[in-house]
Amino acid sequence: MRRRRFLTGALGAAAAATTASAASGCGNLHSSDPDVLTFMFRGSTEERDVFARAVDVFIRRTGIQVNLISTSVDQYATKLQTAILGNSTPDLFYLEPTRTMAYVTNGVLADLSQYVDATDLPVDDIWQAGLDLYRFDGESIGKGPLYAMPKDVGPFSFGYNKTLFEEMGVEPPDPDEPLSWDEFLDRCKALTGDRDGDGKTDSWGNSVNITAELHSYVWSNGADWVDEDARTVTVDTPEFAEALQYVVDLREKHKVTPSINESEGLDGYQRWLRGQIGFFPVAPWDLTLYRTLDFDFDLCPYPTGRSGVSATNVGSLGIGVSANSRRPDRAAELAMFLSCDPEAQEIIVGQGQTIPNTRTRAKEWVKDTSIEPQNKQEYIDIVEDYGHFVPNTRTYTPEWLDTFFTNIQPVLEGRQDVGEYLKATQPVMQGFLDQGYDQLRIDQEANS
Amino acid sequence: MSATTPVGPAANTPPPAALVRPGRRSARASAGARTSGASRPPGRGRLTRPERIWGRIFIAPPVLGFALFALAPLLFSCYAAFTHWNGLSSPVFSGLTNFRTMAGDPQFWQSLWNTLFLMIGIPIGLAISLALAIALNRRMPGRAAFRVIYYLPGVSSVAAISILWQWALNGDFGLVNELLRMLGIDGPNWLAEKTWVKPALILMGVWKGLGFSTLLYLAALQSVPRNLLEAAMLDGAGAWRRFRHVTLPMLSPVTFFLVVTGIIGGAQMFAEINIMTPTGGPEFGSATIVWYIWQQGFQNLKLGYATAMSLVLGALIFLVTAFQFYLNSRNVFTVE
Repeated sequence: MRRRRFLTGALGAAAAATTASAASGCGNLHSSDPDVLTFMFRGSTEERDVFARAVDVFIRRTGIQVNLISTSVDQYATKLQTAILGNSTPDLFYLEPTRTMAYVTNGVLADLSQYVDATDLPVDDIWQAGLDLYRFDGESIGKGPLYAMPKDVGPFSFGYNKTLFEEMGVEPPDPDEPLSWDEFLDRCKALTGDRDGDGKTDSWGNSVNITAELHSYVWSNGADWVDEDARTVTVDTPEFAEALQYVVDLREKHKVTPSINESEGLDGYQRWLRGQIGFFPVAPWDLTLYRTLDFDFDLCPYPTGRSGVSATNVGSLGIGVSANSRRPDRAAELAMFLSCDPEAQEIIVGQGQTIPNTRTRAKEWVKDTSIEPQNKQEYIDIVEDYGHFVPNTRTYTPEWLDTFFTNIQPVLEGRQDVGEYLKATQPVMQGFLDQGYDQLRIDQEANS
Repeated sequence: MSATTPVGPAANTPPPAALVRPGRRSARASAGARTSGASRPPGRGRLTRPERIWGRIFIAPPVLGFALFALAPLLFSCYAAFTHWNGLSSPVFSGLTNFRTMAGDPQFWQSLWNTLFLMIGIPIGLAISLALAIALNRRMPGRAAFRVIYYLPGVSSVAAISILWQWALNGDFGLVNELLRMLGIDGPNWLAEKTWVKPALILMGVWKGLGFSTLLYLAALQSVPRNLLEAAMLDGAGAWRRFRHVTLPMLSPVTFFLVVTGIIGGAQMFAEINIMTPTGGPEFGSATIVWYIWQQGFQNLKLGYATAMSLVLGALIFLVTAFQFYLNSRNVFTVE
């Protein structure tokens, strides 16, 4: 009898352990309690703390419970994909705009249009461009029902180190009038030099992060990655080649950016933080850190190529609601709250994580000259006027654009001719773009 | 004396222990089996009914676990490989499309080639770890400390090791190039040059695996029967011949184990690549097959295609391992 009791106990313990581990393995991503929402998001520790504080306000105000599931940036996409695959999609989750088409087509996202129409929150005050990123009519982004609320819009502005400009005796750029490429190169040359007299260059005019910044040079030179319908890859145009050549020459010919070896030691970002770079992108999510640096900085427009019009990209992250959520109305309420509620915006913007999501709040924010950057209007101009969205937000899969950067290293090192590279890469990119549309058609049919 | 000749004190006197190949052993083993019937474990008939039931209950969890978490996914992946599946909605049967795509996909072949290339590290690692094991097997001061030091990478996380080596291989300030500079060599930009990224990863892989293989070799060295070595010595064999004809054959089961697990592990290399060269390296130079599978499945929403590649990878690993077992049945020595 004693032995039987032992065996039963052991078996029970094993079963309990199995059940417990199975339950913990699910991570409770999908709450079965309709009164509890699960919200999966990502970011730096500071960013996660800020959003958790804003969610606390929502909980206090509405009495709705919210379970937060936060992950590191690296793990987020895989974890979300796995949750969707396992049919345990969280009620709310951060949405990369490059995923909008795929998630809508495959029924992952709930249509938020009805909730937006019914809410008292100032949704109409949100940047139109931010909302358009999450509209999809089955063919094109920017049209049709709304599938996510923008958590933020991230204008990728250009900035400059005011202290370095003063030290090198270089005239600072005009906040309203963009420099031409030639003028920009002249400033960069004047900023590049040996400040401490040890015979080594220790300040540079610029440092280009090719994947993030090539867009600006391409667009401002009148070129683009794809045509208007996002069906044909257009990287093999002379304007595109000229833009890429200009960026390559900044380092290889004019030596106004750190060399490859110098970038390996300390990349452009680290050198900017140390005050060694004249011009550098200043995105809103970096402002909290930049304000602690021991040099002054401000914003200016990106230099312009042939078109004479400055250009840069606007990033964004959305907050989507699962189509399988038991309480999509409450989940939509939280998404809208985080996107545009004045109190939530106060917390999020106040901590320097994003620019304001609403026009009204932005007007106030721009007037505040007590903190850097002084020229905050530049961010607003990008969102309202000259910002573009990265082209893979308009296509079904991002593979075609990734391909461009996979083999670009020899070009950046001057070992391969720019024209040759673009000519060879265009058909490969086109192949992947076409495959993406084939995939869209198959998925549409399968889900119809 | 050839490597295949059993070593013994005299030709007509059976040695207390002898080196034999498994093929030769089989006759003796079957003869032994005929005479050992009395000591056979009790069969099914000896168990009472409740014992049989409890036995089944106790083996049920791992069997169910295997069925649920290994067999079922395996069977599903066999099906998924023949579908168009994006991982967001249900798979749609697509016949051999994924396999045809694979055949014409240069990145698939490139990543397969990269994976094979990185396995160059296996023989290099084995040779170095054997040398280390021999050194650590001798009496010398600080021997225990050295054993711990060499094993440390084995207990460190892959992520930490990858980040550490990312610094060490940095083209500008990395430790590797600093050491080369001391020798008057201007080191390459390891992780940013297509030519050097694979050797760099091999270097790291060898360093990482050294502790584990050294430990196994050390254990194997210590289990070489002394009487065999003494017998060889009496036959006039010098240190090198004793090592070549006694010790080395006695290490072959460990070598076999390390080669098999090394190839299986090498074929599944992922975390190091994803951390050290997150875009698959310069010009796709370091993308391993598992990294490419992950990229296609999770980044590009081609889970059906990724599953098809996984299936091919699984089949390749199976074939290579089976071939190794076949070779092993002819070459590995054991003691009777």
